[in-house]
Amino acid sequence: MDIAVDDAVAALVEMTGVRKSYGGALACRDIDFTLRAGEVHALLGENGAGKSTLMKILAGEITDHEGMVAIDGTPVRFTSPVDAQHAGIAMIHQELDLVPGLSVAENIFLGREPRTRLGTVDVRRMYRETRELLAATGVALDPRRPVGELRTGEQQLVTIAKALGLDARVLIMDEPSSALSQAEVEQLFVVVEELRKAGTGIVYISHRMEEIGRIADRATVLRNGQVVAEFDARAMTAAQAAEAMVGRSVQTLFHTEGGEPGEIVLEIDDLVVHAGRVRPGRREPNGITLTVRAGEIVGLTGLLGAGRTELLETLFGAGSRGRWSGRILLDGKPIHPRKPRTALKLGMAMVPEDRRIAGLALEHSVHANTVLSIVDRLAVAGVAVRAKETGAVREMVERLKIKLRSIRDAVGTLSGGNQQKVVFGRALLTEPKLLLLDEPTRGVDIGAKAEIYQLLGTAAEQGIAVLLASSELAELVGVCDRVIVLRDGRSVAELDTRQAGEADLLAASMGVAEPGTDSTIAADMVELAESPAGEGTS
Amino acid sequence: MPRRLPIAVALAATAALALSACGTTHENSGQGGSSAGQAPANCKGPSGHYLIGMSQANNAEPYREQMNKDIQNAAKAIPQFEVKISDAAADDSKQVSDVENFLTQQIDLLIISPNEATPLTAVVKKAYDKGIPVLVLDRKVDGDAYTEFIGGDNVDIGRQAGEHMKKLFPNGAKIAEIRGLAGSTPAKERQDGFAKGIEGGNIDIVATVDGDWLRDKGQAQAEAVIQAHPEIQAIYSQNDPMGEGAYLALKAAGKEKTVKVTGIDGLPIPSGGIKSVEQGRLAATFVYPTGGKEAIAAAKTLLIDCKTVPKTQTLPTQLVTKDNAADVYAKANS
Amino acid sequence: MTDLQTEPNERLETKTSTATSIVSMLFRFQSLFGLVAVFIVAVLLSPVRDGANIFVSSDNLFNVVRAVSEIGIIAVGMTFVILIGGIDLSVGAVLGLAAVGSAVLMVNDDFGMWPAILIVLAAGLVFGLLQGIASAVFGIQAFIVTLAGLQIARGIARIWSGGQGVAIAYGDGPGEAPVSFSLLGERTFNGLVPIPAIIFVVIAVLAILFLRTSAFARHVFAIGGNEKAARLSGVPVTRVKVIVFGLCGLLSALAGVIHAGQLNQGGPNDGSGYELDAIAAVVIGGTSLSGGRGSVVGTVAGALLLGVLNNILALRNVDPNVQLLVKGLVIVAAAGLQRLRPAS
Repeated sequence: MDIAVDDAVAALVEMTGVRKSYGGALACRDIDFTLRAGEVHALLGENGAGKSTLMKILAGEITDHEGMVAIDGTPVRFTSPVDAQHAGIAMIHQELDLVPGLSVAENIFLGREPRTRLGTVDVRRMYRETRELLAATGVALDPRRPVGELRTGEQQLVTIAKALGLDARVLIMDEPSSALSQAEVEQLFVVVEELRKAGTGIVYISHRMEEIGRIADRATVLRNGQVVAEFDARAMTAAQAAEAMVGRSVQTLFHTEGGEPGEIVLEIDDLVVHAGRVRPGRREPNGITLTVRAGEIVGLTGLLGAGRTELLETLFGAGSRGRWSGRILLDGKPIHPRKPRTALKLGMAMVPEDRRIAGLALEHSVHANTVLSIVDRLAVAGVAVRAKETGAVREMVERLKIKLRSIRDAVGTLSGGNQQKVVFGRALLTEPKLLLLDEPTRGVDIGAKAEIYQLLGTAAEQGIAVLLASSELAELVGVCDRVIVLRDGRSVAELDTRQAGEADLLAASMGVAEPGTDSTIAADMVELAESPAGEGTS
Repeated sequence: MPRRLPIAVALAATAALALSACGTTHENSGQGGSSAGQAPANCKGPSGHYLIGMSQANNAEPYREQMNKDIQNAAKAIPQFEVKISDAAADDSKQVSDVENFLTQQIDLLIISPNEATPLTAVVKKAYDKGIPVLVLDRKVDGDAYTEFIGGDNVDIGRQAGEHMKKLFPNGAKIAEIRGLAGSTPAKERQDGFAKGIEGGNIDIVATVDGDWLRDKGQAQAEAVIQAHPEIQAIYSQNDPMGEGAYLALKAAGKEKTVKVTGIDGLPIPSGGIKSVEQGRLAATFVYPTGGKEAIAAAKTLLIDCKTVPKTQTLPTQLVTKDNAADVYAKANS
Repeated sequence: MTDLQTEPNERLETKTSTATSIVSMLFRFQSLFGLVAVFIVAVLLSPVRDGANIFVSSDNLFNVVRAVSEIGIIAVGMTFVILIGGIDLSVGAVLGLAAVGSAVLMVNDDFGMWPAILIVLAAGLVFGLLQGIASAVFGIQAFIVTLAGLQIARGIARIWSGGQGVAIAYGDGPGEAPVSFSLLGERTFNGLVPIPAIIFVVIAVLAILFLRTSAFARHVFAIGGNEKAARLSGVPVTRVKVIVFGLCGLLSALAGVIHAGQLNQGGPNDGSGYELDAIAAVVIGGTSLSGGRGSVVGTVAGALLLGVLNNILALRNVDPNVQLLVKGLVIVAAAGLQRLRPAS
């Protein structure tokens, strides 16, 4: 296409020769990037390719860069995010920048609270407008609820509502869908479509290839701080994009061939948890029945709030305290772990949902994080034996292909994918019979994703039973042997991935009696998503 | 707040009998002859230069701040003296370190106002054994490893306060007593002395409360007393700040004109008891002397005059009433 | 990425990494360097008498170590508590309680020295464990629990002592403490090295080794770094926390025993404000108040730094009020340096 002509018509944002280095490493090397009004421009690249840096420059968060940024053809030099906001640029961060103690409405209007004539905060107006924004985002939340009580996905929707409230002309969305269920993603797309029609320029950063194909107009791929390819997003194939991102061809993302499953490792029989203290936003297990065999990867799907995380936590002794009914059998023996330590001793290991919150001490070394679960086991008379630990860590680093400079570096300095591998490594070092995984590939770039799938396959081949909760349907279909569908804390269906596709999973999650065929499902999904999807809110 | 531990009661009794309002009583306690032999050892006469370490227990107390001031003012007059003051902030351990640091600096004479007696005894003895003259102010240390003790006599002050009360109410009266911190020695001594002072005067103590030496506590306790005993005609407060608090309580009850308050301490500072008397809030107060001036005088005797000093010097108190308050204040600050 | 592409980058990184590792080492041992710096300043500023620098005289240096020994021992315990992201405000009060306990048991109740010491240490341990249970098991914030603990320990100490310092007299008779207890206030090696200083050094060395090598210490760091992650990794979080508080109580009680021995008295108000000095030593030592990062070496250096600072300010006869100012500024400076510390 003729870019020069297009630019003359409506180049909302034009970045030329943008360059930024951290210490000695170049994060951006002479990047040119344009965004037109009414366009969804996807930005692709592995973690560390320079996407976030580039967007932070546009959003005024990084100011010591080289090169030019122009808005409506006028060169600008932002000195702060507020500066950029005044110019109509808003950014939804991958890290959810919300204040947990404040309510949904207070977060959305933080720093720009509507005032009454007396100068006090106009609470009624704030709540009303919050409801409108939330409705536009497709989520029914009480504006008064503290954000800290919400689930990660709900929080993500609140940040989107917050960005909408800014009436921005340029909206930067950094992984907006990473914590969303499929139905919510559909609603997000509706919002994006409306914004596009209204002439908003949208930069969409995502690792999910299928999303980009559906909503983006253009796609720019970054690698090593440089633009390496530009595609017409609608014509782009996932393989093309992946190849551009990693710089080599990606053979198979998913490990598919299933070996012969062995004995039953985990058996859950009508598990119900009556929490002693009901915590808002939690969906305790309310009738779960499933089995996982040795060497088998079983998926857990369901809409946001269906109780996937809660089930894994309950199994691992990290769930709500309270009464149980039903049974959990591990290797045929009934168990009732009340703390993770017990669960680990029984032969379970868990990779939790959010590695920054529940997985890693980011300031601590790779060594300390990896070896944490087996520190006592390796110790002799309470004294840690450094050589044994280092050996175990190095072996794991090699086995999982963790890219790092030194195992003594803080784990927070690694890329997201490598951080996740460290959490994996810690779990595998305990030599578990049963591996519980909660969203193991969230925020992980495509290359690392493939490696994690490989790893899961290897683990299964070695006879480990794997229970995998994910909101990425493609992942479940590609990786799992069977998928259990949860709805409102209940296991409602079990699908065999040799026969069922993503659409079937989604339909079962939403409780549609007759799932449509693959060709029509997309339209159905959009329609369904527009009605409240039952997120467990009042 | 005065939490002082002055001399033994027996000594105090004799001292009280011996002294009248005329001035300082010198008394050689005769415990060990070291004080006699020590002064000349360090004495370099008028040509010497002397470093004096003053270890203060707690600068935050107005009384002790006044003591520091008295020492500094008195020392200004003697060009051979250089005084260094340390503050232990009411911490025994810190005061031990302070004295150790003075020893490191090789002071020629130590003045100490101990935070507590027993914990400071060892380090004071260490200094004394090194041949450094030690002047102990206000509160004694255990044993006799010091050169001179200089301090007031709380029992006697209490007694005089009692006698003054009899004078104020020749026909007897119902009064309340506000004590200092329960369990502290001065509180007990000021109480015992007062009881002795009012003997035979038909003074009836209808209420005794603890004010912990503090103004706010004194106010709260006086409020309660006024409620419970509206008939009281006077309040004996064991120090001035609690007396000021009692005055506030009386004023709130509209009784400040009819109920008399007496205090103790009489610090010659704007916020002190002498001003309170002058301005009519306290009926009387009794000066509890700091001994600062006397300590420098003793240092001069030891170091410059090369003479000995008595083991104990008991300082007299002075009654301050509206008549003499301005004079006493002016004189103390001259 | 292909290898060809990454190679120049990696070389660049290694170069910067040596530079950053030197910087991070400087920060890691910030308090040691700080101690050296303050020490040098002290030597330079020290008054000279008869041609001798009085600061570096062995007498004076041992005075410094003796003066910080109690705070130092407490600060070692405090380091563990702060490493798990907690705080213990009760340490000064527990010191006072232990000092009173030592005096009362030996003087009033005629206990022998060792039984008295063991009872007092056990009491400190139990007190700490109870605070740990209240904090870790019942989920009350450590700040609140130990604030209450401070009041409770002071209350018990006042009741036990009758509100007044209990003087310790030595001898064999009733109402007298065993003479051996007075050793705590003495010096050995020709009257040069104070016993409390030796105890402090021994405790410090043990704690340094313990924190460096024990599996328990790994759990301590992990809890401070990310408690949730530690729990999910199988760290017995509750147990570790309770033990850490117990350890801190035990060390505070030990400091209290030394306090009584040094001052020949157990006073119910002894050690008030020591919690703040101990926290200051820990912070100067580079331990993060949010937990998960720090060292006993740093704390010991921090305590000594404060001791040297106190000493030189006193030797220079700086106005006591100005001394407070200087100490405050040093603490702020140390904390400020922490903020500049690089991530790894």
